Amino acid sequence: MSTNNSSQAHPRGALVYYVRDVVKTRESEGVAFRLKVPSLQIAMGEKIALVGESGCGKSTLLDILAFILKPSSVGAFRFRPERDGDPLDMDAYWKAGRLNQLGDLRKRYLGYVMQTGGLLPYLTVRENMDLCRNVLGLAQDGTIEHLAEQLGIAKHLNKLPEALSTGERQRVAIGRALAHRPSIVIADEPTASLDPYAAQKIMAHFMELVEELNITVILASHAWRHIKELGLRRLHHRTFRSEDRNLTETIVSG
Amino acid sequence: MGVPLRKVFALASRDYVHEWQMSVCFVLALAAVLGPMLVLFGLKFGIVGAMIDQLIEDPGNREIRPVSSGRYDRSWLESVRRRPDVSFLVPRTRSIAATIELSSEDSSRHVRVELIPSDQGDPMLSPRGDRPEGVTRIVLSRSAAEKLQVAAGDTLDGSLARQYRGQKERVHLPLTVAAVAPARAFARDGAFVSVNLLEALEDFRDGRAVPRMGWSGDRENSIRTYPSFRLYARSIYDVAALRDAFANLGVDVHTHAAEIELVQRMNRNLTAIYWIIAVIGLFGFSLSLGASLWANVDRKRKELSVLRLVGFRTMDIAWFPMVQALYTAILGWALAVGLYLLVAGVINQMMASQLGQGQQVCQLLPHHYGIALALTCAAAVIAAGLAGLRSAHIEPSASLRDL
Repeated sequence: MSTNNSSQAHPRGALVYYVRDVVKTRESEGVAFRLKVPSLQIAMGEKIALVGESGCGKSTLLDILAFILKPSSVGAFRFRPERDGDPLDMDAYWKAGRLNQLGDLRKRYLGYVMQTGGLLPYLTVRENMDLCRNVLGLAQDGTIEHLAEQLGIAKHLNKLPEALSTGERQRVAIGRALAHRPSIVIADEPTASLDPYAAQKIMAHFMELVEELNITVILASHAWRHIKELGLRRLHHRTFRSEDRNLTETIVSG
Repeated sequence: MGVPLRKVFALASRDYVHEWQMSVCFVLALAAVLGPMLVLFGLKFGIVGAMIDQLIEDPGNREIRPVSSGRYDRSWLESVRRRPDVSFLVPRTRSIAATIELSSEDSSRHVRVELIPSDQGDPMLSPRGDRPEGVTRIVLSRSAAEKLQVAAGDTLDGSLARQYRGQKERVHLPLTVAAVAPARAFARDGAFVSVNLLEALEDFRDGRAVPRMGWSGDRENSIRTYPSFRLYARSIYDVAALRDAFANLGVDVHTHAAEIELVQRMNRNLTAIYWIIAVIGLFGFSLSLGASLWANVDRKRKELSVLRLVGFRTMDIAWFPMVQALYTAILGWALAVGLYLLVAGVINQMMASQLGQGQQVCQLLPHHYGIALALTCAAAVIAAGLAGLRSAHIEPSASLRDL
């Protein structure tokens, strides 16, 4: 299947991700886990939800989509961050071991929100939020202050993360993932460590911001009821366990 | 397009400062190794240096004297004098004839002095003072000058006697004090005089005529030989080679070579011991810093993964332990130098009473500090290299969670 065919075949316009027959197998202490993605297509600006209990392979898929985890085998894995650009063959990058180029793609096009903080403890909130912009060499243009205002953390900008509550740190993490205007934001259970009320508020802010900036979102969550209000497209997945429970296999498609 | 090095430096520095307790520990650990090493080297350098200085300062250490008297003629002596490792050589006349009785107007005493042959460039005489010249200008030893109560410029009467054809004869000759020699030049009553004068006195005592002095006697000696000579090597390091050269010529000489060799051997041995200690110390420091940096990579796995995630390249990440190790090296070195200066000051203060002016037991030259810094940085960079290699191989996916 050619690249052109694949994008034309999709009804929702330009594809950011085109994934076919990607498998990741992990094995430790005799217990194997396998993630299979027969087909996954994500269009530019789409808001995707990946819902499932912990251990089902959500994070594995997110890491593959963020180019920080090498798939075991690949049918096709294309990434097109720019609407007018050519799709990039991610499998070729991995096979050639061009990890620095993968890093450059992450730096330029991706924002990643982790389950807990992932903030650098030695930088202030402002510097943490500015990290991606800083390494990209983007100028100080008030973006950080504006984002902090929207996320309700403006008064914390000059503090170190250790002075902040868990919820506030998650807001900083979201701010950092958005500050450099990435094409895609990947969020791995960004509110799992928060109380439901705070979680809801933060997610609402998050969705508002990505809508405003027209960013593609891939969000993992362990419970659909937390996010069903947010208007996300839910990916389907099925998880099987072998009878001796030594093999878990998850199949995702959408 | 990697991350600019400036930014990597800035981040690594912020991390180093933020974890100041850790950083202080590293710096203290380094200073604890490097400080005593500097003191040790300072002591070695200071003590051996002072010993070598003493050897060099006293030209007597460069003297080479024949053990027994021989018969050396002018041309042989001239050939020895032309050797590049010989700085000064004058022939000696027979010592039995090399005395004279001196008297001055200010002192009633007659002083019998030994005469030492001298010439331009005599290392025992002050380089700025006047030389003995001709048959009238002589340089008195300190003790002789004191007994005669004379100073430079004063005149003396020299007199000597001989038995000639059954008659006792005495001659007088006017002498001028050209200078008074430093005390260490000659401890007894003596005078540095030209070889010409000594030859004249020897001839007179032997009953020969010395026409230029107006002394009559038998006819002049045709071929003169000398029983001995005064010789000084160019430097203390040439003494041993000269001694061996004389031994090959069949001339047994007395030298200070043994003392010089003792100091040189001590210097070599102490240097060897010092370097063994230094290498073990630096190796130990390198290992301990390496281990801490290595463990640091584990501790900071998540933070490094975050940097990886936002697009830091392999090399950018590897710079982190490198920059931080260099901070430790430079700060630890500075602290060690501070410690050294303190301890060296105390040691030198304690020893001040036993030392000459300007002498120091514990001493380092500026370039020693530079070498210490370079070695420390090298050890730190090697230690950090391993940790850097490890941090560069962090797989962000495995490290972002579970920790």
